[in-house]
Amino acid sequence: MANVLEVNGLTKEYKKGVRAANEVSFSVKEGEIFALIGPNGAGKTTTIRMISTLITPTSGDALVGGYSVVKQPDKVRECITYLPDEAGAYKTMTGNGYLKFMAGLFAKDKAEQEMFVNRAQQMCGLGDRLNEKIGGYSRGMIRKLLLSRAVMTAPKLAIMDEATSGLDVINALDIRRTIKNLAREQGMSFLLSSHNMLEIEYVSDRVGIITGGNLLVTGTIDELKQKYNAENLEEVFELVVNTK
Amino acid sequence: MKFRNLLKKELSELITPQAIFSMIFTMVLLIFMGQIMGSAMEEGFDTSEINICNMDNTEFTEKVLSQLEEKGSKPNMVTISGEDYAAELERLDLNSVIVIPEGFADSILVDKKPAELRYVSELGIGFSGTMSSVSASDSVSAILDTATDEILLQTYGMNEDEIARIKEPVQTVEFTTFSGKTANISAMSLSSVLMMQSMIAPFVIFFLLMMASQMIMTAISTEKIDKTLETLLSAPVPRITVLMAKLVAAVIVALLNALSMMIGFFFYMTGMMGNVTDMVQTETTAVAEATGALNIAEAMNALGLSLGVGEYLLFGLQLFVTVAIGLAISLILGALAEDAKSVQNLTMPIMIMVMIPFFITMFMNVNEMSMGIKAVMYIIPFTHSYLAINNLMAGNMLLFWGGFVYQIIFFAVCMFFAVRIFTTDKIFTMTGALSEMFKKQQQPKAKK
Repeated sequence: MANVLEVNGLTKEYKKGVRAANEVSFSVKEGEIFALIGPNGAGKTTTIRMISTLITPTSGDALVGGYSVVKQPDKVRECITYLPDEAGAYKTMTGNGYLKFMAGLFAKDKAEQEMFVNRAQQMCGLGDRLNEKIGGYSRGMIRKLLLSRAVMTAPKLAIMDEATSGLDVINALDIRRTIKNLAREQGMSFLLSSHNMLEIEYVSDRVGIITGGNLLVTGTIDELKQKYNAENLEEVFELVVNTK
Repeated sequence: MKFRNLLKKELSELITPQAIFSMIFTMVLLIFMGQIMGSAMEEGFDTSEINICNMDNTEFTEKVLSQLEEKGSKPNMVTISGEDYAAELERLDLNSVIVIPEGFADSILVDKKPAELRYVSELGIGFSGTMSSVSASDSVSAILDTATDEILLQTYGMNEDEIARIKEPVQTVEFTTFSGKTANISAMSLSSVLMMQSMIAPFVIFFLLMMASQMIMTAISTEKIDKTLETLLSAPVPRITVLMAKLVAAVIVALLNALSMMIGFFFYMTGMMGNVTDMVQTETTAVAEATGALNIAEAMNALGLSLGVGEYLLFGLQLFVTVAIGLAISLILGALAEDAKSVQNLTMPIMIMVMIPFFITMFMNVNEMSMGIKAVMYIIPFTHSYLAINNLMAGNMLLFWGGFVYQIIFFAVCMFFAVRIFTTDKIFTMTGALSEMFKKQQQPKAKK
C-alpha cells in the first residue's frame, strides 16, 4: 500500500536552541490509523500543525499525497482536513449553516458542496438539532459536528488532535467507532494524537511514541507490546520513556 | 465562489440582531436627543411668556408693559404679597417673576435716582434651567430700554427721532475673512452653521474607526481563541482570501454603522441648532437690507467654505483610507490576542491613536502648536483624518495631500506586516513569543 503521509526529519524551533519537534520521521499508509502518543507538551501538536501547513518547519519536510508541506502547502491543503484540539465552531451559525460554509471551502461546485453536506448530516447523528444555532450545542455535539465536517470531504488524510478530549464515554466511543469504520470501509487515512493510551490502543493500527520533541519508537501495538514485553500500551509507554 | 462564501460568513457574524438593534437604537437616540435639546432651546429663547407683578401701577409702568407687548412678549400679570418669594413662587406655580415695586416711576422721573427692579427666579438645574434666564434678562433689558426712552422724552424733551439716534449712534457692519477671502457677514452667524459641519465629520471618523477596529479585532481574536482559524487556514483557500473577506466585511459593516450614525447625528445637530440658526438667519436678513450683508449660503460660497462635489469625494476617499489604516492596525493587534481578556488590553493602542487627535483637533489648532507637539500629532495617522475637512474648506490642499500620502504609506506598511503575519506561521507563533517577552521583562523585576 502506498504511503499517504511521509514525514522526514521534521523540526521546529520556536526559540533558538529549543526544539518543540526534533527530527521527527514516520509514515502513514493508505487506510491506516496512525497515532502520535505522548504527554502534554511532547511535541504532538507542533508536529501535527506542521503537517497541516499551519506552521512552517525549521527544517525537514513532510509529503502528503506526494506534495511537500514546505513547497506546495496549497496542494497539501486539498488533500487534508484538520480538527484542532478543543476547537469550537461559529456560534452564530446553525449546524447546517456551518457544514454548508465549510463544504463551500472544499467543494469545486454546488453539487459537490451538497454532497459533502449530506454526508456530514448523516454521519454526525445530530438530526433536527442541525437547524439550531451552534451556541446552544453541548461539547459532545460540537465535537461530532466538527468530526463529520473533517471527514465529509473524504480527504486523503484526516488529521485529528485529541479527537475525543473532554467528551464523556458514550460520545468518545461513538467517535472512535466512526473513525475506525471510515478507515476500514472507505480507506480513509488518519493521523491522530492523544495522551489517552487506552483510546489509542482501541482505535489505531500503528502508534509513534513522542516525548520532549523526539519520536522514540513507532510500530503496531502488538509489535510494541512484544518488543517491550508489556501487557498494554501504557506499560510500553512507561518503558520507552524510562529507557531513553 | 470561495470568497463569496467567506464574505457571507463574515457578514453574518458581524450583522447580528444585536448589532442591528444597537445601530438603530443609537440613531433613534441621537434624533430623539436632538429633538429634546431643540425644544429646550426653543423654550429658552421664547420670550413671549413673562410673569410680571406690577405694584407701581402708574402711567409710566403701563407704558413699559405696552412696550413689552409691542416687542412680542405676553406679560402675565400676577400679584405677589410680602417678600417670601419662595413661598409666593410656589403658591403661583411659577419659575420666575419680575417685580416692579411701588414708587418705581417716581424714583426715575421725580427723584432722579436709579429705581429698583426685582427679578426673582428659581435656580434651574440643567440645560433648560440656564436657558430660561435668557428670556428674563431680555425682558429686563426691554424695561430698561423703555425707562431710558421715558427719561429722554420727559426730562430732556427729546423727540423720538433724536432718541433713536442717540441710542444707536453707530451701526456696525460686520465683515468676516477666511483664508484670504472676505464676505459681508457676521462671524457669529457663520460659526454656528460651521460648528455643525465641522463637528459631524470628526464624530463620524471617530465612531467609524472605533467600530471597524473593534469588529476586526474581535473577528480575528475569537477565531484564534475558538481555534476556528486553524480549521479555516488548513482548508484549501488562499490565506489572503480569508484576510480579504474579513476586511471587506468589516468595511461594509463600518460604513453601514457610519451611515446610521451620520443620519442620527445630522438630525441631532439640526434639531438642536436649527432654532439658533433660524434666529441668526432672520436677524441677518433684517440687517442685510440695511447694510447689504450676505445671507449664510451666499457668505459660505464667497468665503469658499461650502464644499463642492469633488471635495466631498476627496473627503470620502480620505475617510476610506482612514478606515483601512484602522483595520490594518487592528489586524495586527487582533493576531496578538491570546484570550478574550488580552483583546481588551490590545485595543488600547488604537483607542489612544484615535482619541488623542480627536480631542486635540476639536479644541486646538494643530498648526499653531510648538514644533515638537505638531510633529507628534502629524505622526499619528488619524490626525490627518480629523483635519481633512478643515483643510478642504480652507483650501490647504498641500496639507490635505501631504496627510493623504502619509496615510497611504502608513497603510501600506501596516498592511505589509498584517499580510506577513497572516501568510506565515506568525499568526500562530507570535502570541507565544510575545508572552515569553513579557515574562522575561517581568522576571528580573521580581528578583529585585
